[in-house]
Amino acid sequence: MASYGGYTRTGYGAQGGEEGGGFMGGSQQQGSQGGATKSHADDSLRPVTIKQLVDCKEAYPGADLAIDGLPVTQVTLVGQVRSVNPQTTNVTYRIDDGTGVIDVKKWVDAEKADDPDHTDPRFAPDTYVRVWGRLTSFNGRKHVGAHCIRAVTDFNEVNYHMLEATYVHLCLTKGGPPGQQQGGGGNAAGGDAMFVDQAGYGGGGTGAGGNAGGFGSGSMAAVAACSKNAKNVFNFMANSPGGNEGLHINFIASGMGMSIRDVLSAVDELMGQGALYNTVDDETFAILDY
Amino acid sequence: MEAISTPRVTCAYLNSYVGKNVIVVGKVIQLRGDEALIDADGNITAHLNREAHLAAGNGVQIIGKVNPDLSVKVLSSIDLGTGVDYSLANAVVEISHQHRELFAYD
Repeated sequence: MASYGGYTRTGYGAQGGEEGGGFMGGSQQQGSQGGATKSHADDSLRPVTIKQLVDCKEAYPGADLAIDGLPVTQVTLVGQVRSVNPQTTNVTYRIDDGTGVIDVKKWVDAEKADDPDHTDPRFAPDTYVRVWGRLTSFNGRKHVGAHCIRAVTDFNEVNYHMLEATYVHLCLTKGGPPGQQQGGGGNAAGGDAMFVDQAGYGGGGTGAGGNAGGFGSGSMAAVAACSKNAKNVFNFMANSPGGNEGLHINFIASGMGMSIRDVLSAVDELMGQGALYNTVDDETFAILDY
Repeated sequence: MEAISTPRVTCAYLNSYVGKNVIVVGKVIQLRGDEALIDADGNITAHLNREAHLAAGNGVQIIGKVNPDLSVKVLSSIDLGTGVDYSLANAVVEISHQHRELFAYD
């Protein structure tokens, strides 16, 4: 995004239209952080099994449908066509991937209907298809409004999709692969890489689940490089109710049975790693959860 | 929309699914009239229906009901050609049993 902006300004500075487009993108992101407007940040495409779609529920009536605590709109799935039901405005396919069954509606483009080159292909029962679409709930029934459906030509895509859906589910519920969290000496880089991954699947991490995952692994990576004392202090602080003000070093020292000097050096080390920050005075610290 | 799932299984899982519908992906070893021998991490006998068009040596996906003798009564079958990665198919079976919340209703 940033590199694009620089490119258009220097190379194509005269084209105001391009600039406008870039600005629109930025403003949408700000809107999503405020959470007041319906954002497009949740529109990241997510591979799912049909059972996940059938099972997913709104957090409260009127809320977005959520899987693993993350709002889900755009999904991709792979399954077999069980039945085809052509109607005047759409074609409804029942898609079965072995984990569940769901209706997929492909709307007929009225303008293209007369043009034989652009009519949508119909898929016969039993063929495997990949669907890209938007999960919608209407009168309590869920269906997928398909943007695009295509036949699966290589059967391995079916299996690979199942693994991908599982991978994304595990990334969102348990954090990414362990290699990224404990990645070598470059602890900060490890944390950052993790965060990029989260943003990719979580769409900006507006969902609580996405944020929690990023925080846990990020600070874990920073703390992993610290001494044993510092790790113990961090764990103690993480498990103590401190509120926004954090904990005073005297409290930490008495709670852990350590000397003030040891606590101070541990806290210094954790501050150096960016895991802590001092709050009301120089002797009170809280965990930096970004 | 119904809460129905058809678990993906290999030979080793068949005895857990007697009387239930399953999906098996494997390689056709032998065709004997309306019976086929399919290798899915172990040999499975499949009783074919009339619509089945299988070829020995090709991959196949069958959906069918597991009989008490652990043979499978085929309801639907698709020929998958030759480019099927069987170790991938077996891995998916294992994963789908490890993470049942994504794949199956109990």
